[in-house]
Amino acid sequence: MTQFFKLFKVAFQAINKNRSRSLLTMLGIIIGVAAVIMTISAGEGASKQVRDQISGLGSNLMMIRTKTEHRAGVNVRMGRPLDKHDYEILKKNAVWMPQLSPLVALGAQVIGPDGNKSSTIYGVSSAYFNILNRDIVLGKTFTDEDVKTANKICVIGETIREELFSGRDPVGSQIRINKVPFTVIGLLTAQGQGVMGQDQDDIIIAPYTTIQNRLYGGTEYNMIMASATSENAIDDAKFEATILLREAHKLLPDQDDDFDITTQLEIQEVSGSVMNILTILLGAIGSISLIVGGVGIMNIMLVSVTERTREIGTRLAIGARESDILTQFLIEAISLSLVGGIIGIILGILGNQLVYKLTNFIIPTSVSSILIGFGFSVFVGVAFGYFPARKAAKLNPIDALRYE
Amino acid sequence: MTLKKVIETKKLSRIFKNGDIEVQALTDIDLVIEEGEFVAIMGASGSGKSTLLHIIGCLDRPTSGAYDLGGIRVNTLNKNELADIRNQKIGFIFQSYNLLSRTTALENVELPLVYDRTGKFSNYEKLAKKALEQVGLADRIYHKTNELSGGQQQRVAIARALVNNPALILADEPTGNLDSKNSIDIADLFVRLNNEGKTIIIITHEEEIAKFAKRMIYLRDGRILTDEIIKNRSTKESALKELEITT
Ligand SMILES: Nc1ncnc2c1ncn2[C@@H]1O[C@H](COP(=O)(O)OP(=O)(O)OP(=O)(O)O)[C@@H](O)[C@H]1O
Ligand SMILES: [Mg+2]
Repeated sequence: MTQFFKLFKVAFQAINKNRSRSLLTMLGIIIGVAAVIMTISAGEGASKQVRDQISGLGSNLMMIRTKTEHRAGVNVRMGRPLDKHDYEILKKNAVWMPQLSPLVALGAQVIGPDGNKSSTIYGVSSAYFNILNRDIVLGKTFTDEDVKTANKICVIGETIREELFSGRDPVGSQIRINKVPFTVIGLLTAQGQGVMGQDQDDIIIAPYTTIQNRLYGGTEYNMIMASATSENAIDDAKFEATILLREAHKLLPDQDDDFDITTQLEIQEVSGSVMNILTILLGAIGSISLIVGGVGIMNIMLVSVTERTREIGTRLAIGARESDILTQFLIEAISLSLVGGIIGIILGILGNQLVYKLTNFIIPTSVSSILIGFGFSVFVGVAFGYFPARKAAKLNPIDALRYE
Repeated sequence: MTLKKVIETKKLSRIFKNGDIEVQALTDIDLVIEEGEFVAIMGASGSGKSTLLHIIGCLDRPTSGAYDLGGIRVNTLNKNELADIRNQKIGFIFQSYNLLSRTTALENVELPLVYDRTGKFSNYEKLAKKALEQVGLADRIYHKTNELSGGQQQRVAIARALVNNPALILADEPTGNLDSKNSIDIADLFVRLNNEGKTIIIITHEEEIAKFAKRMIYLRDGRILTDEIIKNRSTKESALKELEITT
């Protein structure tokens, strides 16, 4: 133990004697660690954000649409549009999809007491709020009764409140949607930007019956939204919907479906794989900076091998054992790597914060990036500090002294 | 009175191989050195003096032949045992000093104590200062090696060899970089150490320095040419007197 303590002192003397070499070694490690933390964190941060937003929509979500095909640059509807008939069959017979809502979307001009705005009106049933996990902060949502009687009521998003009510409490007030007066009965909890950067609070929700009767005139739905009983039930729900709709549309066995069912899981998978590519890409950039840092460390170590081999020769000549040399060099390498690594971690975290300040893009520093960056740099630092020393320590003292 | 053999070599040879080229640096050296001897090794450049001293100092191994140090067959020892012998029994002064750069004289001299495993030394700094005083460098202990002259570095190297009080002192041209006056001082230091009971072997080119020793071995082409007792040894006074006459 006292021998170890003595060697500790020797190691720190050596670090101190060769300050520029020590600093350069640490610099290589600092750059490597900080770069890896920033790049990997950015990748993971981006994919986490997207994943959160998608799964925020509810993982049991299903969207049933009329089949479209992309022909000559335009989407052409291939089948019968979905309507009340389909909705009612699903509602009556489906056991895996307790929550169902038609969706009729319409762009419209809305006028409120403090301003006006063009926005999108969604006509839905009361189940919509459950299906999409949307909550109310003020007032209430509408009921099945409201839908049945096609009441002229609506729930609005935060952006609409800002524009039409200057942020005041809108509940009970009237707004005009394409000149038709609606009473605001509720305010949605703000959700901010969506996956594609759209404003999820620029929204007005009303009973679909009201929209169809008062604003739209048609009987078609844009889609039917549904929520399966659980995530595991999604496949069953999809199968059930297919059977029911094929029957409703009187399709023959050799005919293709004339509708499309997209589940939330499928969306998650697609975006997940896109994000994985992003993470891999950023990881690759990070690896390059690691290699650059590593080569830097290697260079410094190799340049100093001659001097250090002579030093080792001197120490051996006056009676140091091989293990004394190895312990000293290990202490040196580990200390430099640790200090450099810790500074690198701090700089990486500060760097992430700086990116946040500059771009508003939140990057949570990922633990795995710290582990990867730190682990690799410490490995390189120790490997290139230790292994040349080990080679030299095995020489005859006189050969180490003569080394060129 | 029978003296203990400190060093005994039998048919010691050292061949250096560099690729296809072989250099026979030492051939069949038979040598016995007893406790308390003071031996000077002389010979032309390249005659194998340093090579022999390195083997005696356990810094290098012979290609063939046997070497006993204090009754121990060195050939059979492992690396750690050799390291401990170098540390405890031998003080080696190199032709090229081999001090640690950017390191103070004091720290250099303390170094053998750092690697001591017997635990018999406690105050490293005090011992190192004492050794530096012995070589007349008391006023330079905090200077770094690169701030010292060649002769001062040589004396730091000598202090380092003395600090752990070894029984055997081996010096490869310890006065090679000193002027005549300082050379005589160092030679006198060796005489005093020898009087204290240490066995000393020095390599030197200078006849005047060699004559401080008790015995002179002359090497030529890796073999012992002559090995004789020095009749009229120099002392510090006689050497200084001679120095005055010649200058
Ligand atoms: N590492 C080595 N590799 C090859 N040859 C060597 C090596 N070391 C010494 N020699 C050779 O061995 C011979 C003896 O060298 P050594 O250094 O012992 O001479 P020396 O008597 O000390 O000379 P000097 O008085 O110049 O110091 C020389 O011919 C030298 O070239
Ligand atoms: Mg020599």
